[in-house]
Amino acid sequence: MKLDTSGLESTSPFFGSGDELCPELSAAPSFALPLSTDFDEFQKDTKATLKHAKGTTTLAFIFKEGVMVAADSRASMGGYISSQSVKKIIEINPYMLGTMAGGAADCQFWHRNLGIKCRLHELANKRRISVTGASKLLANILYSYRGMGLSVGTMIAGWDETGPGLYYVDSEGGRLKGTRFSVGSGSPYAYGVLDSGYKFDMSIEEAAELARRAIYHATFRDAASGGVASVYYVGPNGWKKLSGDDVGELHYHYYPVTPSTVEQEMAEVAGA
Amino acid sequence: MTKQHPAWSPYDNNGGTCVAIAGADYCVTAADTRMSTGYSILSRDYSKIIKLADKCVMASSGFQADVKALQKLLAARHLIYQHQHNKQMSCPAMGQLLSNTLYYKRFFPYYSFNVLGGLDNEGKGCVYTYDAVGSYERVGYSSQGSGSTLIMPFLDNQLKSPSPLLLPAQDAVTPLSEAEAVDLVKTCFASATERDIYTASFFLFPPSLPLCDGIFGDKLEIVVLNKDGIHREYMELRKD
Amino acid sequence: MSNSAIDVPSRGGFSFDLCRRNDMLAKKGVNLPSFRKTGTTIVGLIFQDGVILGADTRATEGPIVCDKNCEKIHYMAPNIYCCGAGTAADTEAVTDMVSSQLQLHRYHTGRESRVVTALTLLKKHLFNYQGYVQAALVLGGVDCTGPHLHTIYPHGSTDTLPFATMGSGSLAAMAMFESKYKEGLTKDEGIQLVVDAICSGIFNDLGSGSNVDVCVITKGHKEYLRNHLLPNPRTFVNAKGYSFPKKTEVLLTKITPLRERVEVVEGGDAMEE
Repeated sequence: MKLDTSGLESTSPFFGSGDELCPELSAAPSFALPLSTDFDEFQKDTKATLKHAKGTTTLAFIFKEGVMVAADSRASMGGYISSQSVKKIIEINPYMLGTMAGGAADCQFWHRNLGIKCRLHELANKRRISVTGASKLLANILYSYRGMGLSVGTMIAGWDETGPGLYYVDSEGGRLKGTRFSVGSGSPYAYGVLDSGYKFDMSIEEAAELARRAIYHATFRDAASGGVASVYYVGPNGWKKLSGDDVGELHYHYYPVTPSTVEQEMAEVAGA
Repeated sequence: MTKQHPAWSPYDNNGGTCVAIAGADYCVTAADTRMSTGYSILSRDYSKIIKLADKCVMASSGFQADVKALQKLLAARHLIYQHQHNKQMSCPAMGQLLSNTLYYKRFFPYYSFNVLGGLDNEGKGCVYTYDAVGSYERVGYSSQGSGSTLIMPFLDNQLKSPSPLLLPAQDAVTPLSEAEAVDLVKTCFASATERDIYTASFFLFPPSLPLCDGIFGDKLEIVVLNKDGIHREYMELRKD
Repeated sequence: MSNSAIDVPSRGGFSFDLCRRNDMLAKKGVNLPSFRKTGTTIVGLIFQDGVILGADTRATEGPIVCDKNCEKIHYMAPNIYCCGAGTAADTEAVTDMVSSQLQLHRYHTGRESRVVTALTLLKKHLFNYQGYVQAALVLGGVDCTGPHLHTIYPHGSTDTLPFATMGSGSLAAMAMFESKYKEGLTKDEGIQLVVDAICSGIFNDLGSGSNVDVCVITKGHKEYLRNHLLPNPRTFVNAKGYSFPKKTEVLLTKITPLRERVEVVEGGDAMEE
């Protein structure tokens, strides 16, 4: 099997080539592959024990003022919550955001890699990369690793010369342009809120509230989503984090508990 | 259909538990020193904590061979870094390097569960926690390894601070003093090892007991980093 | 006969349908619930006046210790005790069952139970279940024919030995016996050797741990030394202790007592014939 490692080229080697003493250390990094006869079986076995799979709810949508991006922050391994403070909205550069669903390491690594590539593009062309271009870079890399077990479901949201941009990219090689996406195990719940509340004509505040509510309702019904609902807005001047709220506290914000004056008593059975 | 070949299994689990706690101006990193396989003890005195840089230590549990390979690779990388930059790597830089190193073995992972403890550029304590393929996160405290599921809820209860993702941001510093943090770590291991067979719990061994005189090791190794430098302490561990 | 397809014995024989079904389910990925196993060190030896049995007190469920001080030396009869290793439920059930059979037998005959009786009952039961009753036992006692020590394997085979070990720590314990056992040990020497063997299991086998239980059986007398040695006390306790400040929010404090709905009438009518 020949691997396309061109995705790693932007990471510069440690020093000039020709260091014969430790070729392994000075060569451009590449992926080590197991010497197994059955790669797929091995991947399956290791995936079960090692991978940090995530139940997730992420969403993004384009509206009048730009793009709104929101996500929860929970990471789980099976039934165990391994973190409640994951940054699932990755800041690729000041004008572009990526979201994280699937394998945490896969998303973190390739978004960082994409950030490097976008910066190099900027340096080479004296202009920022378009969202279309950036999402295509990522999709091409992921496509070249297809079938190797990467697990990525991401949305690339940003603002470029053509205005707001939003793409969905996944590790199966899919890349979709759209105005409204939600990814992850909590996405059906988020879509329910998002689709019923979405209008193109929204103010930033309305859009942020819709995103927050969608994430909150997803975390309410999906056990693998939770933690903090972060909401980002990408406009002509780049992205800005609008809010980060603990979903537990959001619950009591949306559904306040007031000490009830009418206290429940055991009802008498009629005619007892 | 029966399998033609036995499954190719290059991994073993050698057990062990690691804990790290970051404070305002210190970082406590601790791990037990037992190495085991199955129901057998391979060593009672194997250190899981390695010093990577002046202000950066790594504690690793999992598969010893992979951990050793990882430690050697990081040490070599750090040496090259020192030659190139004439300075020690900072803890955040080491954190990113460890993440990348783990990810380059994405399709043949290092079976190691790491926590990185140290001081950042401002002298604040920092802890990075990892999964086996390199996803990482800066946190206030963390636990990895066989006893992590027993220790983590206790640390959450004692140390849980407002999430760093909250906006408006809230102050999230571990309120403990250094001595209190060390005591907390000791309690963590004392409790977890009562119940986890792969972690040796510590206690001061009564030397008068029969048979026990000959057994050394099974310790808790605690590494404290602060502005005065690095400081190691050991506690004798329970042997069963 | 054309209907030879239903040529099965009308009664007798064992049914292993559920075992086959469970194997099939396991292959299809259905995980059976985990049992509480006593990854264990159990030992026994014969000394000059009788038999000494020993056991550790750790019970595990996978890597987790679920009982730090369980009892693995089970009562069989006043003069017979039995150490159990394997699935906790099986060792307990099988020893309880046989001990009540022995009791009934004593009522019937009016004589002291013999160790071979217990041995035969146990091995018959275990053999019948073809190893699916996961009990590995060390049986010891003193009867009218003298002291006896036996080991019983889950499939029903048995051994008769002067010293015996079982469980995951059996190799560690046997190392002590092989190096130090001799015939005609005194009681104190015997207890010390049993303690050494159990400690060897406790310290070198991860499945065994915590304390040492010992049972000494002599002619007409027995001594059950529960927690004879406690080599693994918890010694680190934070002097300041810990508080758990985050309390549950109190939303309602009113308590509504349950109403009694049944009124008891004193001195009701006498029951009719």
